[in-house]
Parts: sequence; C-alpha cells; structure tokens
Amino acid sequence: MPFNDHYVIIGNGPAGNHAAITLRKKDKEARITIISDECVPYYYKPKLTDFIADEIPKEDLMVDFLDSYKAKDIRIRLGQEVERIDMESKTLFLQHMENINYSKLIIASGSRARVLPPMFCYANHLKFVTSYTDVMEIKEEIKKANDFFIFGGDLVGFKFLRLLNSMGKTVTILIYPNAFWPYNLTDDMLTQITESLSKFNADIIVKDDIQSIDRQNGSYTVKTRKGIEKIVDMVFSFNGLRPNVEFAKGSGIDMDHGILVNEYLKTNVGSIYACGSCAQIYNPTIKSYTTSIGWPNAVVQGEVAAFNLLGDHKIIESVGRKYFDLEGVKIKTTWWEEIEKDTDE
Amino acid sequence: MKRNDLYSKEEKFFQDKNKIYSAQSVKQIVYSTDVRDFGRVTKSVPCQDACPAKTNIPGYIRAIFEKRYGRAYELNRSANILPGVLGRICSRPCEFACRHGEPDNGVSVGICHLKRSCAELKPGSHRIIEGLYAPTQKKVAVIGSGPAGLAAAHDLSILGHKVVIFEELEKPGGMLMYGIPEFRLPRDLLMLEIKNILRLGIQLKTNKAIGVDISLDQLKNEYDAVVVATGCVRPRKFNIVGEDLENIYNGLDFMKAVNEGQKPLVGDKVIVIGAGFTAVDCARSAIRLGAVDVSINIRKTIEYMRIDETEKYEAQLEGIKTVSLLQPSKIIGNGNKVTAVEFQRTRMEKTATPPYRVSIPIENSQFLVPADSVIAAIGQTPDKTVVSKDLDGLDGVFAAGDFATGSSDVISAIASGRECAKNIDEYLIGEKRKQTVVRLENHETTDRQRSYDFIGKVEMNTIDMEKRLSKATNEVETGYNDDQIHEEAKRCYLCNLEYEIDPLICIYCSACIDVAPKDCIKMIESVPVNPDGTYGKYEETDDWNKVVSIAIDTAKCIRCGQCLAVCPMDCISVTKTELIEIDT
Repeated sequence: MPFNDHYVIIGNGPAGNHAAITLRKKDKEARITIISDECVPYYYKPKLTDFIADEIPKEDLMVDFLDSYKAKDIRIRLGQEVERIDMESKTLFLQHMENINYSKLIIASGSRARVLPPMFCYANHLKFVTSYTDVMEIKEEIKKANDFFIFGGDLVGFKFLRLLNSMGKTVTILIYPNAFWPYNLTDDMLTQITESLSKFNADIIVKDDIQSIDRQNGSYTVKTRKGIEKIVDMVFSFNGLRPNVEFAKGSGIDMDHGILVNEYLKTNVGSIYACGSCAQIYNPTIKSYTTSIGWPNAVVQGEVAAFNLLGDHKIIESVGRKYFDLEGVKIKTTWWEEIEKDTDE
Repeated sequence: MKRNDLYSKEEKFFQDKNKIYSAQSVKQIVYSTDVRDFGRVTKSVPCQDACPAKTNIPGYIRAIFEKRYGRAYELNRSANILPGVLGRICSRPCEFACRHGEPDNGVSVGICHLKRSCAELKPGSHRIIEGLYAPTQKKVAVIGSGPAGLAAAHDLSILGHKVVIFEELEKPGGMLMYGIPEFRLPRDLLMLEIKNILRLGIQLKTNKAIGVDISLDQLKNEYDAVVVATGCVRPRKFNIVGEDLENIYNGLDFMKAVNEGQKPLVGDKVIVIGAGFTAVDCARSAIRLGAVDVSINIRKTIEYMRIDETEKYEAQLEGIKTVSLLQPSKIIGNGNKVTAVEFQRTRMEKTATPPYRVSIPIENSQFLVPADSVIAAIGQTPDKTVVSKDLDGLDGVFAAGDFATGSSDVISAIASGRECAKNIDEYLIGEKRKQTVVRLENHETTDRQRSYDFIGKVEMNTIDMEKRLSKATNEVETGYNDDQIHEEAKRCYLCNLEYEIDPLICIYCSACIDVAPKDCIKMIESVPVNPDGTYGKYEETDDWNKVVSIAIDTAKCIRCGQCLAVCPMDCISVTKTELIEIDT
C-alpha cells in the first residue's frame, strides 16, 4: 500500500470508529481521518437518556477521548460538516470552504431524527434526543420543565417517557402508528403498546394527529385534530431516524433513502463504501434492501467496510438483536421487511 | 479585442440591409447574428438556454425587481403564451440549470414562483401586447387545443392567418384542462389565458373529433395548412398478467375522470406506479378521494423521479409514501377486482450510453403488496389511429407538441407549437418573416448588491392540510405577496449581464482576482471557441510570459460586481445580452 493513501471516514459513531480502528490495524502507514459534524469525541448514544437524568457523568458517556485517537494515529476533525463529494477529483467539500482529498472513503454518517410530514411546519418547536449536542441544549431545560408533550413512539421515545416519569414530570404522549416508517403498527400492536404504557403516569393518545403547536410566553399550546389541547413546557418528537446522507446527493453515488451498497458494503463507486444506519444494504438472500440500526450492527459493518476497502470480500451479516422490543411488540429493524411478531424471542 | 471591433461585422450586416435601428446611435445597441454571440448567451444564461421556449428569464426577473409586473408578464408571454399557467405547473428545467443552484452557490432561484406571481400582481389595467401582422387571407386548421395547439394557433394568428382550432373534447386546454388537477391549476385562470389567445380572432370548435365529425382530408381541402397537435393520449401498458382487472386505472384516464368531477373508486389502499408529475397528481388526487394509504412506486430511486423537489415535498406532506427500487410483475385479483400487486425488486446498474443508470429486475425477488386500486401512470404515446399516416408525405400538414416529439412537458409543447407556426408561415408566405438575433446593449451598472447573494429562497405559501382535504379543488399554493416576490427577485444573478475585461486597458494588477468570491477570473493563454459558438475551457497559466489576458469566465461568474468595484482602470464593461425576434 503506498504511503500516500488517505482513508477518510465521514462519521464518528460505532461504524466510523470501528472502520478506522480496523483500517489502522491493517495499514500502519496510511493517513486516516474521521470527520464528524459533532463537537465531541466518540460517545455512547444509547446512554444519552441516562445522561439527561444525571444517572451517569459525561465521562461515562464517552467511549473514546481525544488522546485515544492520537494513540491510534487517527486524525479526528470535530465540528466539521461535509457539504458535498466530488468523485472525479476524490474531494470532500466541507461547509467552512475547506477541501479534503481522499484515496478511499467510508461513509458512516449515521442518522438523524425523522420529522413526520404533519409536523414539518412545527419543526422549530420540536426537541429531539438524537445527539450529544441536542441533549446539551435541552438538559437543564428538561430539569426545570414540568409538562411535556411527546409525539411519536420509537424506542428512544419510550425510554424518554420512562425517564420523565421517574423524574416526576407530567407527560402526554401521542403515539403515531407510523413512528417506524414505513411501517404502520396494526391496531393489535397499538393496543398492546398502550396497555404496556398504562403503568406510567402519562396521558396516552392514539389514532389522532397534530393540529397545531403555538408558542406563547415560553409555553407551547399543542392541539390535536380530535380537539385535545395541552399547554406544556417542552414538545418532543420521537419518530424514528432517517439516514444523514444529504451531502451525497448529486455526487453520482446511488442513493435511495440511504446510500445503496451491495453485500460487501461497496457503493456503485469503487473507492467509496458505506456502513451503519446511513447505508441501505442489498441482501442477496432475501433479494431486498435492508437498513440496520443499533450499535452491534454498526460495529460489524464498520469493520467489514474497512476490510473490504482494503481488498477483502467479506459479506455483511446482521448481528445482535434482529428485532426491537417496542413495549412488548417485536419490531424488525430494517426498512424493507415487514413487521413481524417474533414470539420466539 | 474591443467590442466595437468585434461587432463591426454585424453592424455592417444590418447597414447593408438598410436596417439601422435608431436606438443604436443613442444606446449603443448591437443586433448580432454571430454564432459566438449565440454561443455566449447559451453558456452565460443557463436558465434561458434550458427553457425550451427560450424565455428571457433574467429580463423578467429584473422587471419584477423594478416592480414592473406587467412588463415581466409580457416578457414571459412573448416566449410562452400561458405565463400564469406555466407559473404553476411548469416542469422548471430553468431551475435545474440556475447558476444559484450550483455547488456552493445555494439554492436555485424560484423562477416558476416568480413567473406565477408577476401574472397575479400585474395591474388590473394591464394591456396585453401583440405585434399583429396584416391579414394574409390564408386559413390554417389546428387539431387539438392543448398547449402546442394553442401556441401554434396564437402565433399563426399574430402572423395574419385565419385560424380555426378543432377540439375533440368539451373544453379547450387538452392536458392542462383534463390531465392536471385543479388543486394545482385553477380552471378560471386557465380559461382566462386561453381566452386571451382566442381574442385574436381564433375560432374554437369543441366536440369536433377528427375522423368522426370531420376528416383530415376535408381539413386539407378547406384549409391552406393543417397542424396536428393531438398530444400523447394512448397510455402505455405494463404488459403483465392481471392488467385488465377492475379498479386498475391508467393515470390520464383517472385524472380526466377526476377533472370532470367524477369520483373514481379508489378504496383505502392505492398503489400508484410511475415516477412523473402524473403519478404524483394521481396520488394526491387519491388522497382527496378519501384513500388512507397511498404509495408511489418507482423502478429507480427517488433521485431519478422526473418531478421537482416541491412536488416531492408536497406529496410527502400529504402522507404519500414513495417506495423505490421495484417494478410490478403481476396484478392479483379476487374475481374481477384487484387485491394486490406482485412487485419484483430492482437494482441500479450502469450503462455506457444515456440514461447511464438503469434499473434491472432481480430474479426471484417477487413479493405481494395488498391494494384496493392501482393507478398506472407510466406515460403515454401519440394516438395515431386517426392521423396515422406519415405526415412527411402530406403537403401542408404539420405536427406539433407531444404528437410530434413524444410525451414531454407543457413548456416543450408550447415551444414546439411556436416553432411549428414559424414553419407553416414560411410554407404559406414563401419566406422567413422573423429571425432570432442577439441584442447587445451597454449597461452602466451591475443592478445587484453583493448582499443579495446571501438571501435564502422564499418558500411558496400554501394552505394547510385541512383546507386541502375540505375541498379537492382548493388550490394548494397561494402565491407570493408583493414583499416576497421582490425579495426572491433579488436572488437572481442576472446572468444576462455579461462582464468583460478590456485587455488593452487592463494593467494586470490582479485586484479583481483577489476579490472574486468564485474561481471566475483567470489569467489565460487562450480560449477555444467551439463550433456552436460557445467557449471551451479557459486555458489558464501562471506564467506571466504566456498570459494574453485576464478574462472573466461567464459560466462561473455570479455577477456579484466585486471586480467592477475594485478595478482601478475601469476596464470592466457590462453588456446586457438578450435573444430577441426581429423581422427579417
């Protein structure tokens, strides 16, 4: 491998970091750079709700600190957003007008909060728990606030509901059947979830939709289509995730909802791979496309992408939990397969 | 090279023909037919070049900025005869080409919204301008009153010919009337703009089907020329099992029924197949008919849908899902009624020739999706059962619009209709009476401020979901107000203003290069000129011994005016370039 190879990884989550570590193990000479739009090193996203409740300090949230990147000879560039990719010149254009050249690229940019279409026009009023930055902006506000309204009902949403309950807050939750887009929960599933949630001190609304959110004097008035009106301090949206891949649009990389890759995690462009929740992976066994969310899958995908980038031909297989447990209902965590009840698990 | 030297040839051309325009001496205007000037307009003004009708887009946006909405409307109408209509439903090739949408430049200017808004905000006392020619005593029959037929009829009428339009259906407008939903195109506006065309003395005969009420031969005998502009109305078929079950509609028939006030049975779960405007119109109409679960299913990925971002957004907002990378392989029914569609997965593959990326079905990847109805919006072809002969062999019979070109869009149909009218006029009169030239005029200012480059796009105002669903014909977009249109107009780079450095005055101080926000001012050795008159890639050099000029690359220049502001020698000139039609 020539000395001047420069492997660039977009994304500083589990997929990106495990890709970087694998690359470093296999290639001691190459330059390796991770670019992240967040301003903190590698952290454990599933623990964000615990961090909000002060159940863990910031140190326990972190997986790696800046020193560890240095020790691995991996350059980390934090707070730098990629705007576009030019494949011909193998250049990344960053938002602050800097260009970075790569010899091979791994896209592991993860996902961000999905806003459902009826809430598009109220997006400015919504809070999310998808990143450290999100949480730092709202952590103190959550402690001071008393009344909350939650739209949606994905896994993080229910975890957040439990957290608020334990903090003695008043919560109203409107469950959207399509929180796990593109699936719609069946009536049976919805009933099962509602029953399961009844143990919490929360107003549960189903089969309704947002009418409006108005902000006045620091509070929010939330109205639903069926006439329910609540005045709350904070409004949250938990409706699943969408791949964070806007920067790749128009670059020539095949994209659908995420970056399209084959079973080797390779895109249609030879020097570019994608892994983690931003990738939409073709699965030759089921002859369809899948997207995996969850930490263990991201780790394995990061490693496989790195191996294949270096010339290997490893095929990706999902690991860990194949299904998410949504308050008693098992939900398969891919976009393209149907929801199935996994009674065996 | 000085501009005066460059254009002396053209000036001579006009002098020879005794056509010296009085304005030339006053405003230093040059009318050029030099291929290099056409090439410069092509490359410098990408929006106008992308518009099939060659609308003077920077010209009308500048008029909007000056709050001369009537003038903006007329500049539009001189290229496309339905500005209010196109301002709502145009496929917007101009916006895809807009330099403001290029990497690092932000988002394209809302050209279509501006077009719509100048049609709405023009004064009530506005006077439509038509440059009428003397009557010729020639008669032309136009078959079809869609955009191509209307455009051909309008221009032929202007040229002094007596025009009669034959329309098979009850109302004029073709696809505009029957193919596009009213929530995107109000019918009173459409009729108003059609009437503006008919006011020229064009006779419209509706409910007159060619081959039923009157034959093509009869028309040929009674008229000096015939235009066939019957569009593309024969739907493409999937050619798969189950295609003839009940509750399977083709997109155009479905929209026609909806636009005639019928309520086709769609049920709760509707599967729309297709990736164009008609597919989205069908899906949005199905929502208004009470469908609960509507999906648009496409063979490739969302990126390749033949619609603009606004349509994608509005469809999503109304709860329509887009499912990509699949194609129907069978339609399943219970009795005569459709119950499900069997889809097959596809994958993207590269091809060496256009379209470069295609979708390939994956073997044994079939799966079922339940459906109460299916709408197939996969395009149409011309119906050649009535006018089936090769028109090339028919003297005096011309074709325009989708009938001639295959399924396209409204602005292309208008451009085709206008081109057809020119050809017919030449056929009837025996000579070309109009020609396109490049009008070049010295311009003292840049007409812009640098701060305009940082204005965000003004989004179109829309009604909320409740109003959309309360009445299916409620128009979703409500237009810009006076302040919004003015703000959006500021965003246009005015690419029709061409900046040029005079190398004989330039002292090569590089001050302009230092302040340029883009890589648009270059030290060059030479610039190749392509056969079509456009400039090739500037051959740059860092070697002062080889520099022949500091030149502005008009294809990259964003007309910010910074170079003009710093030039110590005042050697940068601004020239306004416009494509205009003049009498030959």
